[in-house]
Amino acid sequence: MTESLNTNLLHPRQRVGDSLKRWREAGGGEALALAVKNPAAVLELVKEADLRGLGGSGFPVWRKWEAVAQAPAGTDKYLVCNGNEDEPGTYKDRLLLEETPHQVIEGALLAALAVGANRVAFYVNPDLKRSLAALELALAQWQGSERQQWVGDALGRPVVLELVPSSGHYIGGEETAALEWIEGKFPFPRGKPPYPAQCGVHGCPTLVNNVETLANLPALVRHGAAWFRAQGVGKAGGTKLYSLSGDVLHPGVYELPMGTTLRDLIFVHGGGLLSGKPIKAVFTGGPSNTLLTPADLDVALDFDSLKERGAALGTGAMIVVSEGTGIVKRVAEYVRFFAHSSCGQCPSCKTGTATISRLLDRIDTGQGTEADMATLETLCAMLPGSGRCHLVNGVVQLLDSSFRHFRQEYRQALRP
Amino acid sequence: MTCSLSYQEALAAYRAGADPGPLPEPMDPDRLLSAYHPDYLPGSMTTLAVGPNAGEQCQRELAELLQAEACIDEVDLAGVPVADTDVLVIGGGGAGCAAALAAAEKGARVLLATKLRLGDSNTVMAEGGIQAAIEPGDSAQKHMQDTLRAGHHAGDPALVAALVGDGPDVIRWLIRQGMQFDQTSTGDLHTRPAGGTSAPRVVHCRDYTGLEMMRVLRESVIQHRGIEVWEQHSAVELLSNESGQKCVGAVLACRTDQSLRIVRTRSVILATGGLGRLHLNGFPTSNHLGATGDGLVLAYRLGAKLSELDSFQYHPTGLVNPPLLSGKLVTEGIRAAGALLLNAQGKRFIDELQPRDIVSAAIIRECREGRGIHPSSGGVGVWLDTAGLERSQPGLLERQFPKLLARTRIAGIDPRKEPILVYPTLHYQNGGAVIDVDGATTVPGLYAAGEVAGGIHGRNRIMGNALLEIIGFGRRAGAAAALSGHDRGPKKITLEHVNRARRALALAGLPLARRAPLMLPAYTAPGKDLTFTANRAKP
Repeated sequence: MTESLNTNLLHPRQRVGDSLKRWREAGGGEALALAVKNPAAVLELVKEADLRGLGGSGFPVWRKWEAVAQAPAGTDKYLVCNGNEDEPGTYKDRLLLEETPHQVIEGALLAALAVGANRVAFYVNPDLKRSLAALELALAQWQGSERQQWVGDALGRPVVLELVPSSGHYIGGEETAALEWIEGKFPFPRGKPPYPAQCGVHGCPTLVNNVETLANLPALVRHGAAWFRAQGVGKAGGTKLYSLSGDVLHPGVYELPMGTTLRDLIFVHGGGLLSGKPIKAVFTGGPSNTLLTPADLDVALDFDSLKERGAALGTGAMIVVSEGTGIVKRVAEYVRFFAHSSCGQCPSCKTGTATISRLLDRIDTGQGTEADMATLETLCAMLPGSGRCHLVNGVVQLLDSSFRHFRQEYRQALRP
Repeated sequence: MTCSLSYQEALAAYRAGADPGPLPEPMDPDRLLSAYHPDYLPGSMTTLAVGPNAGEQCQRELAELLQAEACIDEVDLAGVPVADTDVLVIGGGGAGCAAALAAAEKGARVLLATKLRLGDSNTVMAEGGIQAAIEPGDSAQKHMQDTLRAGHHAGDPALVAALVGDGPDVIRWLIRQGMQFDQTSTGDLHTRPAGGTSAPRVVHCRDYTGLEMMRVLRESVIQHRGIEVWEQHSAVELLSNESGQKCVGAVLACRTDQSLRIVRTRSVILATGGLGRLHLNGFPTSNHLGATGDGLVLAYRLGAKLSELDSFQYHPTGLVNPPLLSGKLVTEGIRAAGALLLNAQGKRFIDELQPRDIVSAAIIRECREGRGIHPSSGGVGVWLDTAGLERSQPGLLERQFPKLLARTRIAGIDPRKEPILVYPTLHYQNGGAVIDVDGATTVPGLYAAGEVAGGIHGRNRIMGNALLEIIGFGRRAGAAAALSGHDRGPKKITLEHVNRARRALALAGLPLARRAPLMLPAYTAPGKDLTFTANRAKP
């Protein structure tokens, strides 16, 4: 199984750090050279490869691209490379930025070329100090370079590369919140529509893509869509960076074919569970999604397969918990994180998440009652869709699925 | 020449005031230590495989605990009530009380948890006194030199400088708390020399200095409004933040009903004392019942660096007879006052005021080479010539060492008329958690003070520095912990570090069956195992 590990983005060949020279020696820059000859082909390639948004949405990339590419060319067009990564249990973007920043930069330029974006902002969480430092060094080597010039020439106007440290808030990773911050304001998510492709940074058409999504582009352009699709398992294409953590022997970031099963991820690559305890649940991607349970061990970890089961891949974070872990405590902990991360502009989210967090804390500390449980269930029914962004939906999804699978555990913690 | 004697024979041969003969040519200290000190016994050390000190030498019994599984798992915390406070002090001895008082003086809300009762500690057993350079002919520099030299220059000079610099102020503070000290006829503080000191520097309250100190500390702590005391609450595990890198609280277990409590704090101060009750190398110990090294285990699992895990102090004069009092301490003050050590032949064999490790090694040498005295109840020892001291300074024992007289009276021995049998006893852990001058360990949010901390005494402590350390560094840690800052973000309390430690144990192929901390020695509560399965605390 190890031959399927780290075949593309995290291949040792690609992990050259911030040296542009070493990136070029590893074949870097070739994709850009191909693309400037025929920029329009890149979008077609992405469409054919069915590349998805790997920041958690799984949204087909080409659809965002097309919208930005078709927007009138009169104004600036922006590309935001989203590296705000702050979700519990997710560590993939920081690794890409730290170990292979040129792959991300080249990917961003390919995307800029494809959609006609002349301003590229690398939006990176300042708490990821090493990632930020590596990207800064790497970016400095591209500024004023011949390759930057190629892209400018192909677009017919100079392309500006900019590093924008984000606010470090979790909510700043939401795509419209990123736009606000880049405009110099507090990262409050905006209502949608209009979508960023129509009205993004300073009202200009803007494409927001995750670091991992963009990092996939150089290899895709170089090797073609067929190659890309063959990297995945079944219908899914490409590879995915899974952030495996929790009660496994070898936690870490594993790049595996998209659609690898949960069982393989945990037992083949993660070395199985600590001290041989049985698996109890897996918090996925965020962890603002539905819980996976031992019954889901053979599910393929790709966007569509998980969606069919009512779950979601999210960022690819898999927080594994074994028997001996309290689900209530874990859920309470994650909800506390989200409640604290709520920007507070939507009253239902601000008070809803805080109330859920408070009630869960009560239950977790042995002070909860049946009435608290009933309140939580009512909130689960009321809250979804009431916020501008998805934060409150994520909280409800997590809570609701933990109710479904572990109701008994909640009951046990109630005050007699 | 071997002439090991039974107790009766030796007592019959003993003559108070007989000429003990000249001191033999002293043996090279390093050779003496390596040949006879218990730290160097074959098989007593092992190499740590996991944790911040991996690859370093460690006493075997301690290593087993440092490389053990936690007593609780996450599921045990379901439904456990949470208490919030600013500073949690674990340990109710001198260091814990001093830290709690200092933190409360800075305005912090303090919770002091102790697994026995407030004051059940080794502090109360400290007999000799407390060092402080207060005499006209003395200086902090001399105190520092003595401390470093006795510790074989393994101590951290910055910490020692802080220790000796605090000395006079610590005494002043103790007096303000109401502590009594012995005084000269002119009303100055009375000082004694101690083994390894270059000037008389030990201030004391007869031979129960620690007991008197604990008396006033207890009163101050109980009276302070900012300090809440939880007795009979053992620390089962520390709590860490999401990354397992910062200490954010602790899990306590009530000893009476085994229920758990979570305490969430800004900082935790470990003041858990030493580990004599592990009976390293099978030695008896002078330590109190709770000295099971819990603090070291908790700190190590959370990733705190420890130091000198292969260096322990065996106090030269532990009682041998009767077995009930085996290992109990006879103060060094009595040697400072002039009592001699004699072997079975009635001869001196060591300068009694050498540092403790040297004297202990010399006693072990005498016994191992057949010049020891064997009581019928088992064991072996040498004479501490209290009767000779009484003869040269009549009335001194009664005046200055009432605790010794009371204790030996139980055994039917009158130290004024006959010598007492002594043998080294496991007394003190020289090393411990690595700290800075604020008592901060290498883990953010985690502080250590007193015997659980290391770096001050090097590889051997001199008398009187322990009491100075617990007050001086206890107050430092308390003040620093009270002012340690808030974090941005929600407060997460997790057992992430327990998972990390478990992973390291599994990868190193070590067994996961053993659990630590011990909390009480195995012989205290036979059959009682450490399970806290979802026990609910009182509402």
